[in-house]
Amino acid sequence: MNADATVKVATAKQTKKKKPASLDRKKARAGWWFVLPFVVVFIAVYIPIIFDSIRFSFHELEIQSSGGYDLIYIGLDNYTEALFVDSGYVTTLISGLKQLVLDIPAIVIFSLFMAIMLNDKMPGRTLFRAIFFIPVILSTGIIDSIDQSNSMMDYMGSTEGISTGAEGSQTTANEIISAMDIQKLFANMKVGQGLVEYVVGLVNDIYNIVNRSGVQMLIFLAGLQSINPAIYESCRIDGASAWETFWKITFPMISPMILVNTVYTVIDSFTSESNQVMSYIDNIYKSAANGQVLSSAMSWMYFLIVVIMIALVAGLLSMYIFYQRRD
Amino acid sequence: MDSPKVLKDNKRKIRVEFERTSLAERLKAKYLTTNFLVQVIWKIFRLLLLIGISYIIIFPFFVKIFGSFMSRDDLVDATVRLIPKYPTLDTYKYIIRENSYFTAFFNTFVLSTLCALVQTLICSIVGYGLAKFKFRGNKLVFMAVILTMIVPHDTVKLSMYMNFKFFDVFGIVGGISNLFNLEASSLDLINTYWPLFILSLGGIAFKNGLYIFMMRQFFKGVPDELEEAAYIDGENTFGTFVKIILPISVPMMITIFLFAFSWQWTDNFYTDLFFTQSGAILMPRIVKVPSSLSDDSFTAKTLYESCIKNTCGLLIILPLMLFYSYMQRYLIQGIERSGIVG
Repeated sequence: MNADATVKVATAKQTKKKKPASLDRKKARAGWWFVLPFVVVFIAVYIPIIFDSIRFSFHELEIQSSGGYDLIYIGLDNYTEALFVDSGYVTTLISGLKQLVLDIPAIVIFSLFMAIMLNDKMPGRTLFRAIFFIPVILSTGIIDSIDQSNSMMDYMGSTEGISTGAEGSQTTANEIISAMDIQKLFANMKVGQGLVEYVVGLVNDIYNIVNRSGVQMLIFLAGLQSINPAIYESCRIDGASAWETFWKITFPMISPMILVNTVYTVIDSFTSESNQVMSYIDNIYKSAANGQVLSSAMSWMYFLIVVIMIALVAGLLSMYIFYQRRD
Repeated sequence: MDSPKVLKDNKRKIRVEFERTSLAERLKAKYLTTNFLVQVIWKIFRLLLLIGISYIIIFPFFVKIFGSFMSRDDLVDATVRLIPKYPTLDTYKYIIRENSYFTAFFNTFVLSTLCALVQTLICSIVGYGLAKFKFRGNKLVFMAVILTMIVPHDTVKLSMYMNFKFFDVFGIVGGISNLFNLEASSLDLINTYWPLFILSLGGIAFKNGLYIFMMRQFFKGVPDELEEAAYIDGENTFGTFVKIILPISVPMMITIFLFAFSWQWTDNFYTDLFFTQSGAILMPRIVKVPSSLSDDSFTAKTLYESCIKNTCGLLIILPLMLFYSYMQRYLIQGIERSGIVG
């Protein structure tokens, strides 16, 4: 009787131990079924595309009249041509990377600032939100490419300047503020010339920055929404000012989002029409002899440099990121 | 201050008498503090800033709308600034008539709806698989998703074109055509909807990595107990997904659909790549100057053509604007609920 009971307990224990394992395995198999569509197309279509793109960058391409194409292996020739023979690539690459480095903090800070504003309860919040996310939906693709060479906007902008009486300064009328004004403002503050120019450049580029920070704003908004209001309440009770609350609560809690947004901004800049490196490469693709494979080599180099840069920045940022432990 | 005095009127009613500070002093204490002042200044500043940036966002649309009604006389007239003196509908008329707007509209509508639906569904499924199942290789698959997100599509432009021009997965297509003694060793999918459809079907089309990422973060926030309850009731994993998980993720899926639809609608990279001049007319193709409006002798030619192109742009985004005005609350709700934070 007694022995029987122990046996029963033992089997129960065994089944107990075994069952979750088998359920897990079952679940694991189900997991594969769920990601199957992605995995199949990734292996069957995407890997060959990536592989071919790398392969093309080491070859010369000849399209046959009968259909099909021939590849002639030329080693690193495309790469050396891009770096040493092509006149514009290196300069465009350097200035493009510089632009990227300058744009990232501007976009991330701007979108964080705007997200904080749009998160506050106030009259008209829904309207403002709706307006702020218009560029995400509407100013992409075709519209973006039309906007890039838009003489109408310049014309209207400059006539506006004239109508406000600034007749002599037609060239700068399109700019919201001119460097001179700001320089006067900062003359006594001992801020470097470079910083002044950077700020002025940003303000004049505000349309571009607003257009490019829509998704980032959404991500920050989601992050802000997920902060427990009780933390803010206890802060207020303890007498913290809004400034302190921002730096001690909001900023640490939102810091993972800053990393996500930094990476997203870089990824997004690849597809943006205002990306000068990509438009240069695109130009090469369309016009230069053997430009199609040359452009592959160029964009792979660009991509690699940017990925290394992202990795460095992400590594650096992740040291300072605060992850809240849930539960 | 004296303690309040309680006067009894009758059994049910009491009156309390106490000294109140005067109204003026109460108001002073409430409103004449630095805290209140800072609050007011902040609110004004915030409102001004929001209005200013809203203006920056909306103003170009106004310029485009006004510009679209301008006739040639308006463009050479120096007194005309924003509001045209001689408004005309010719620009719209000729674009719609000569650039085959409605054909482009219909084709793009079919393509965008199809792609967006497939992408939303596939990204939900893949995101669910990545979020809720700890199978071996989960991390690897997720890395692959991130890879599709970060590789710029310009980089793979040529090979993408070649792969769909000579479409042949592992030589299967060639094998089949050999079997039937056909000449073609591969399929030419250019000028068909198939390339975009195949990419959508695998969740590797434009920005699909982002959608998968968003869905994954959303599903991570869904408590496991929901599914466990369904399992105990004898439902299998797929049934649980369809019957329990999908209904609660509708707001998030609407967000994804909104993104997918509008980005596909205005996309010119893939459509230019996969559709040549002889292919189906899609939205990017209507951005050109209609022949009856082009006039080389006109002095403000560049400006006029820019106006026309912007009008094309307006016509392209017009349906999206209507769509967005209905859907925008879902966009924000969906994002807020997703807790992308993870």
